[in-house]
Amino acid sequence: MAKIELLNITKRFGKFTALDNVNLEIKDNEFFVLFGPAGAGKTTLLNTVAGLVMPEEGLVKFNGEIMNKVDPSHRNVAMVFENYALYPNLTVYENIASPLRSPLYKKDDATIDKEVHRVAKILRIDHLVERLPSQLSNGQKQRVAIGRALVRNPNVFLMDEPIAHLDAKLRHHMRSELKEMQSSFNSTVIYVTHDFLEAVSLGDRIAIINEGKIVQVGTREEVYYTPCNEFVATLVGEPEINLVDGRLVVDNGKYYVEVMQKGYLMPLPENSGIIKKLVDSGITEYHLGFRPNNVKYTFQKQDGLLRGTVYSFESIGNKAVLIAKIGDQFLRMIAPNDLQVKLDQDVYVELPISKATFFNAQTTQFIGTSDEAAIYRLVQEQLSKGVQ
Amino acid sequence: MRRKRMINNAVKNGLLALYAIFALFPLFWMVLISFKSDAQMFNTTFIFDPTLENYEAVLLRTDYFKYFFDSVIVSVIAVLVSVLAGVPAAYALARYNFKKKEDLAFTILSFRFAPEILVVLPLFMIYQKIGLYDTYFGLIWVYQLITMPLLIWVIRGYFEDISVEIEHAAMVDGYTWWQVFLKRLLPLIKPGLVSASLLAFIFAWNNFTFPLMLSGTKVETITVASLKYIASDTVHYGQMAVAATVSALPAVIFALCIQKHLVRGLSFGAVKG
Repeated sequence: MAKIELLNITKRFGKFTALDNVNLEIKDNEFFVLFGPAGAGKTTLLNTVAGLVMPEEGLVKFNGEIMNKVDPSHRNVAMVFENYALYPNLTVYENIASPLRSPLYKKDDATIDKEVHRVAKILRIDHLVERLPSQLSNGQKQRVAIGRALVRNPNVFLMDEPIAHLDAKLRHHMRSELKEMQSSFNSTVIYVTHDFLEAVSLGDRIAIINEGKIVQVGTREEVYYTPCNEFVATLVGEPEINLVDGRLVVDNGKYYVEVMQKGYLMPLPENSGIIKKLVDSGITEYHLGFRPNNVKYTFQKQDGLLRGTVYSFESIGNKAVLIAKIGDQFLRMIAPNDLQVKLDQDVYVELPISKATFFNAQTTQFIGTSDEAAIYRLVQEQLSKGVQ
Repeated sequence: MRRKRMINNAVKNGLLALYAIFALFPLFWMVLISFKSDAQMFNTTFIFDPTLENYEAVLLRTDYFKYFFDSVIVSVIAVLVSVLAGVPAAYALARYNFKKKEDLAFTILSFRFAPEILVVLPLFMIYQKIGLYDTYFGLIWVYQLITMPLLIWVIRGYFEDISVEIEHAAMVDGYTWWQVFLKRLLPLIKPGLVSASLLAFIFAWNNFTFPLMLSGTKVETITVASLKYIASDTVHYGQMAVAATVSALPAVIFALCIQKHLVRGLSFGAVKG
């Protein structure tokens, strides 16, 4: 197991910069998630760690040792490829056994047999070991690809969307299995995903990557409660965070934000630090982020609430997403599945100013949050981690 | 309905039989006259006194086997050289991006475009000058024009079908590049390699123009040697037929052995499913 460091990594493909001055430190035994949209450079970053891609600039270090010139076979990394990369002419058994038969990591036949059957059992493919990859479904292929990594005891597991093609139930099972495996083997894992749920449920820390740059690195709480900019805020969280324009208004020494429509003022919490942060930012135009689960709604007419119409109502499993149209803006909120609602009916929405996240309207950078409890929780967590 | 199907089948089989006769008749005729004596050559068709005289004359009383092995040496080594040089070339064309890659690939293919008779005249002059005339090396060298393009184009397609991640996976599994190539890639390109090599061998074996012009006394392939049976007084068609029949054997045997794989190997990709 190893600590992985990436220092100033830059990788270009022709004129396209896939990785732009990336710095990361992945701790020993950490489950580290790379999370970002398609084409962000996640796979390239993984390939750089594996040695399959040579960065133009920067250093790759394993336990402090520079690995740039070490070829992939000697780095002792196990990798799960997004397109499986199974050997089509070998059976599932031989595919999984492949690393244990290689000259570098050679084991005797009895060990190989034991290991292959052990991981096949975990992955629920023990009945398929005699098949060829062409006789498998995509989900099964993906599990074989995971199996080929799990038979090893490498410096680091590199996983490129390893469970993206499994069905929902199996994905859930594999998620807990991977987490379990990681904690019981004390292994370092770098895990690439574009699925928010996977990222937060698996990652000790999450690195959000976009257009070849690391945008933010933090725990799931950090990226959720204190996203460093609007991009992170919209990426983390399902359904997506509501972003609305806001303007700082000072009236009789009291601070308000005006949102959604002219004259709709919301008083800022007096004793929270957010007022000072907003004033210090030197600007008056903001974007306010409201998580859909915090937005309240009612169908009874009520003064002081924003009036809108129901734009859509869509079930997402055990809950539903209600979208209200207010003026020309849309607000997403969480509603119970069995809610009786007609399209275009009136709805009254309350934005929870005490749980708002503020972003600079020009730069989209994070300014602060009025949810002090969230900050408090984060601080507590950092402290308890520091004590460990 | 049933009647219709029967007629259908009869027509199909009839056409196939017709084609079989069309395709096989020259071969049949060649074998037939190889058993005829010179005296009966022109005045008999199917009924004659079969004789092994021609076989005796060709196989025992001339240097036939020397020519035969000259052909074997030149063709086999030409194909081996093509495999050794062509497989890495095909890999490079499939995997790496470099300037003028497609131009280079096309140039290689275009070696097959020029009529041999056009190329062979300047080659004859050059070979005379640099001492390659009438040598094994000279013929093997010029045979690359025939064998190499075919091999490179077939194998390149195979490499392109293999996703680069398979190579990456094997490297991560702990294999060095050479081991990846031998243990993981070679089995995948084998069908293409075998069929392309055999086809290249047949082309090389059947070639006539190059050995006719670029060799003569020390090295003489079977295709050229067959002409020897045109004597100054008469053409020994029977003996020529023997020479041709025996020389056609390797190609026919190979083609029959790999018939199934030949079509699949040349048309299918490496990674199925």
